[in-house]
Amino acid sequence: MRQQYAVRSLIIVACFVLVGLGVIVQMIRIQNSEAAMIFLLQGDRYAGEFQMFYPERGEIYDRNGHLLAGNRTVYEVGVSLSEMENPDSMSYILGTYLGLTYDEVYKKLTGSPESWEYIVIQDYVGAETVAALQQLLQQLEDADDPRLSGLAFKPHLQRSYPEKDLASNVLGFVTRDGRGYFGIEEKYNDLLAGHPVQIWVPRDPNKASEIPRVPNGTTLVLTLNRDLQAKVETILDQALVDYGAQNGTILVMDPRNGDILAMAATPRMDLNNYGNYFSLYDNGSQYNRAIGMAYEPGSVFKVLTMAAALDVGTVRPETTFIDTGSIQVGGITIQNWNRESWGQQNMVGCLQHSLNVCLAWISSEMGVQSFYSYMERFGLGHATGIDLAGEAIGRLKVPGDGDWYPVDLGTNAFGQGVSVTPLQMLTAVSAIANDGRMVTPHMLYAMLRDGHQYNVPSQYAGSPISAETAHTLNDMLAISLEQESSLALLPGYRLAGKTGTAQIPTDYGYDVSRTNVSFVGWGPVDDPQFMVYIWLQTPTTSIWSSETAAPVFSQVAEQTVIVLNIPPDVVRGQLISK
Amino acid sequence: MQGQATQIIHAYKQAPWRVQRQWIGAFLLIVIGGAMIAALYLDVTARAAVAGREIQELRLEITRIQRENADLETQLADLTSTAAMRQRAAALGYRPVKPGELDYVAVPGFFKPEPDILLAAEDRTPRVETQPTEYTQSLLEWFDERIELGGARVP
Repeated sequence: MRQQYAVRSLIIVACFVLVGLGVIVQMIRIQNSEAAMIFLLQGDRYAGEFQMFYPERGEIYDRNGHLLAGNRTVYEVGVSLSEMENPDSMSYILGTYLGLTYDEVYKKLTGSPESWEYIVIQDYVGAETVAALQQLLQQLEDADDPRLSGLAFKPHLQRSYPEKDLASNVLGFVTRDGRGYFGIEEKYNDLLAGHPVQIWVPRDPNKASEIPRVPNGTTLVLTLNRDLQAKVETILDQALVDYGAQNGTILVMDPRNGDILAMAATPRMDLNNYGNYFSLYDNGSQYNRAIGMAYEPGSVFKVLTMAAALDVGTVRPETTFIDTGSIQVGGITIQNWNRESWGQQNMVGCLQHSLNVCLAWISSEMGVQSFYSYMERFGLGHATGIDLAGEAIGRLKVPGDGDWYPVDLGTNAFGQGVSVTPLQMLTAVSAIANDGRMVTPHMLYAMLRDGHQYNVPSQYAGSPISAETAHTLNDMLAISLEQESSLALLPGYRLAGKTGTAQIPTDYGYDVSRTNVSFVGWGPVDDPQFMVYIWLQTPTTSIWSSETAAPVFSQVAEQTVIVLNIPPDVVRGQLISK
Repeated sequence: MQGQATQIIHAYKQAPWRVQRQWIGAFLLIVIGGAMIAALYLDVTARAAVAGREIQELRLEITRIQRENADLETQLADLTSTAAMRQRAAALGYRPVKPGELDYVAVPGFFKPEPDILLAAEDRTPRVETQPTEYTQSLLEWFDERIELGGARVP
């Protein structure tokens, strides 16, 4: 009997062992089968997800810490389709709040593929709208009403410009795909945007991964002075109205270091509504005329010709020239702006009366080699290197070019047949206001990253003329301004400057009825702290710079000395002596 | 007498019920040891899970606060924008100053301050360079570490 039990026990044990072995064999087989790999992959796929962490786009400040470009929270409004119970009421409510039609929302809610879990109804919804929707959702949930069940809000940041259209031509804008266009936003897009980080985020909280370090984009501090920028834009807008000009630009720069303090151009647009771009601009070069559009500057160019001639020793301030009203250069007759002769003049008189004949004579005396060598040194025909996207380089024809003719030596001397941007002119003339050293204009004052501020050093673009020449011409232009263009003067301050009236070239020659008027000036003459360049396109009340751009210069200078705290010359002298 | 005592002790040690009890005791010891290790492991993993969840929630909270900061900064800039300040100044009866109305006073030792925007440079990026091992370490890994350290206290 006992033996019989033993046999039975052995049989049962053997059965269990066999079953156990079978289970183990099956486990090994399944784990090493092809299907197992598929299951493993599926498991891995649902064990977590790749998430992209986008850094907050860096902000943009003016030099005094005023925010020019920041970020604000907007929402993506979506619906979790598996939780949605009533698409009819959902469509009606969302349509009402989001400004969509019932059909639009209903189509999205019911027309999506069955595999979809979630659908976006609208993105970039403002905080106020979302707050109202959240309140309604809460009320319905409290009342166990499922009409909005499944509604979800996902917040994210969107670029915002608190100053709206202020300095819009300088800042540029950021589209919804996060890319910067024009100006600072485009030039420094990589710095501002930062580097997105993609990581695998497991769903298993036991495997909570390390939080990725996603540094915010670099914050930029510009050389712009917000208050001065606002005042300059107001002056420009008013000038367009007062003088019937089509468009215009005003630049204010510190000649000592190239800091751009204000850069106004028209038209401007509210950067929060960048969709208006296409209705305001025909092409990208119009976005910022100060750097993007080259034009024939006219008589402001005479400053450079005179600087070159003084520096090379062709003339001195007291050199006399008998103006007969015309001169032959390259077989072509060149006349003065009023087609009259001005008799005996010294070089101050030539600038004061803006005599084309005199300046053409000067360039002819200098000779082709010397004249164009100086123009090259002034940076004409080359980009200034300003840190803004979309800079044009203009055109300086030189001997050897197919379209250069000997007469160009004469006409170039007074700003005809040469095209420059307002910024190129300002940069070239900075040599005269800055002891012969030409500055590289720049917008970036500092970068802020990881709690550190990196100041951007100023750069110089060479010394085309000597300091002595610069001082001499500085004084000549101050005298010239005092005697020629009284509308540009500012009581209490000695300023230097030059007007420029240029007929507009067409396919059929120069249009005498339309002009570009310009003015370049700076002050105080004994210690230049600001330079101003003005360009008004086709003014209609007067075609002359002395009657349009000159008074605008005076207004800009007046506001500049206030904003920059520059005392009148007498007071400044007293303060220095103390 | 002494031989009898030895025999009794020997018989006691050889008693079948005692051998059986020793086996049961050893088995129970293994079971209890295993249960203790399992309980400890469960406790550690549960705490790691809770910590992991808290980390995720804190991360969301940091992101939310960052967004809120950016939002508030922009709102503040809206309220102090040039246009808004001009309007407020005009409403309070102020008007733009003219050059002749300004008085300049020499202040000995005063230098015109250079722009300084360091306030904005405050680093607001959340950083967790290394996560404490307590949040990710398994019990076995902890034992390994202890053995390697020779029982020294982990700082």
